[in-house]
Amino acid sequence: MTGGITMDRLTKRYGSVTAVDRLTFAVEPGVVTGFLGPNGAGKTTTLRMLLGLVTPTEGQALIDGRHYAELTDPRRVVGAVLEATGFHPGRRGRDHLRILAEASGIPQSRVEEVLDRVGLADAAGRRVGGYSLGMRQRLGLASALLGDPQVLILDEPANGLDPAGMAQLRELLRSLAGEGRTVLMSSHVLSEVEQTVDRVVIVAGGTLRFAGPLAELTGAKGETLEAAFLRVTSNTDTATATDTDPATGAVTAPVRG
Amino acid sequence: MQSLIRTEVLKLRTVRSPWLLLAACPLLVIAGVSGLVVSSKTALDATKQGEALAHVGLSSMFTLVFGILAVAGEYRHKTITDTYLSTPARGRVIGAKLLVYAVLGALAGTAAGLVGLGVAAAWWSDKGVSFVWGDAQMWTTIGGGVAWAAAFAAIGVGVGALVRSLVGAIAVALAWVALVEGVVGQLIGNLARWLPFNAGQALGAGSRAMVSGNLLPRWGGGAVLALYVLAFAVLAVTTSMRRDVS
Repeated sequence: MTGGITMDRLTKRYGSVTAVDRLTFAVEPGVVTGFLGPNGAGKTTTLRMLLGLVTPTEGQALIDGRHYAELTDPRRVVGAVLEATGFHPGRRGRDHLRILAEASGIPQSRVEEVLDRVGLADAAGRRVGGYSLGMRQRLGLASALLGDPQVLILDEPANGLDPAGMAQLRELLRSLAGEGRTVLMSSHVLSEVEQTVDRVVIVAGGTLRFAGPLAELTGAKGETLEAAFLRVTSNTDTATATDTDPATGAVTAPVRG
Repeated sequence: MQSLIRTEVLKLRTVRSPWLLLAACPLLVIAGVSGLVVSSKTALDATKQGEALAHVGLSSMFTLVFGILAVAGEYRHKTITDTYLSTPARGRVIGAKLLVYAVLGALAGTAAGLVGLGVAAAWWSDKGVSFVWGDAQMWTTIGGGVAWAAAFAAIGVGVGALVRSLVGAIAVALAWVALVEGVVGQLIGNLARWLPFNAGQALGAGSRAMVSGNLLPRWGGGAVLALYVLAFAVLAVTTSMRRDVS
């Protein structure tokens, strides 16, 4: 098991709206991949299709060549923190993890290990309703790490984290990738992404705009990630995903949101 | 499946709100039995024992809402995502919920029955009337009430899985019981006996029905209610397997 992720012409249509349009890209193990795009670009829908929560209209999203639903012990293969993942406010943080461990056949001893790893051990006995956004993010991260998975998928994990939390998250993700795991994270905080990821996948309007090493995106013209991001996402010509032609790149189309 | 059942029980054990609903069942029966005794114009007798214990079946109003929490509550707090990530086989998740909630509904009904028996016996003795413990009518009434509570918990799971919005599901369920079934019943006349709340009443009725007089026999109400449970279970499983979770 290598833990690679492949999207093959992945498409989701809601009535006449195409949220995700023939996305094809691969995410490799051993590096942190940033998944970027403006609001409404289809990032969350893409991740939900990858995790079997949303059924694609066409195409497929595979982990290790298999659909999520076909994985035996999915939490031992894939750990995910989605934006819409929630907690019962009346439940203690530790109990939330105990439930996930029970449902996934993971030994209960793992609960304390992941609480320690995300720095939430002290607050684990409190009800989640009293948690700050940063603490919820840590609990979400602990849920994802519970099964010691080969693949990590994180939707906006940096939201609500303070600078120290950001630094810890960066360290954690880089060390997980260093162990040969696949790490795919979406984010809006481009300055954070710039320091954390090795590769980027950029989508806008449901289509792929760029997939490749971060250095390749910014390096050619010595741009900041923000400038490069705005350039590839404002380009309405979707025919060539990695088109860097300044003539088309300069088209002042409204950013889709 | 065993681990899924343990998971559902653990989910319930780690929060407080669902237990308040179940704890309300015996309280409702205490009030119901006492009200019947206090407002009774004739002397207490064995027939009245069955009528008093018919309040056990009203636990089903609380177990219905309790059942709705199973799936709609998970959507409300967005824990459904984690649930389906742990167990992509959604049909099995719904199956485990149906089982666990129906059993707990039956236990809540049983607790209501025991409390109701104690309260009724105390009232009878207070009025100087001997309480007939062997009254078959009373015991089948209690049994019917317990089954009604279990069935409505399972139906609640189904309603919650179909509607998904917690507020919407509770509103739909309570409006149906309080209002819609009565209105529809008037339109369809004698066929109203086959509607779910009337079937439940038939199952848990005492010697005389509490609300409407025209009911199926007890066994008929039970059979009809069992079919409703089956229909809701099948619908809940099939729609849950198909729908996007976002």
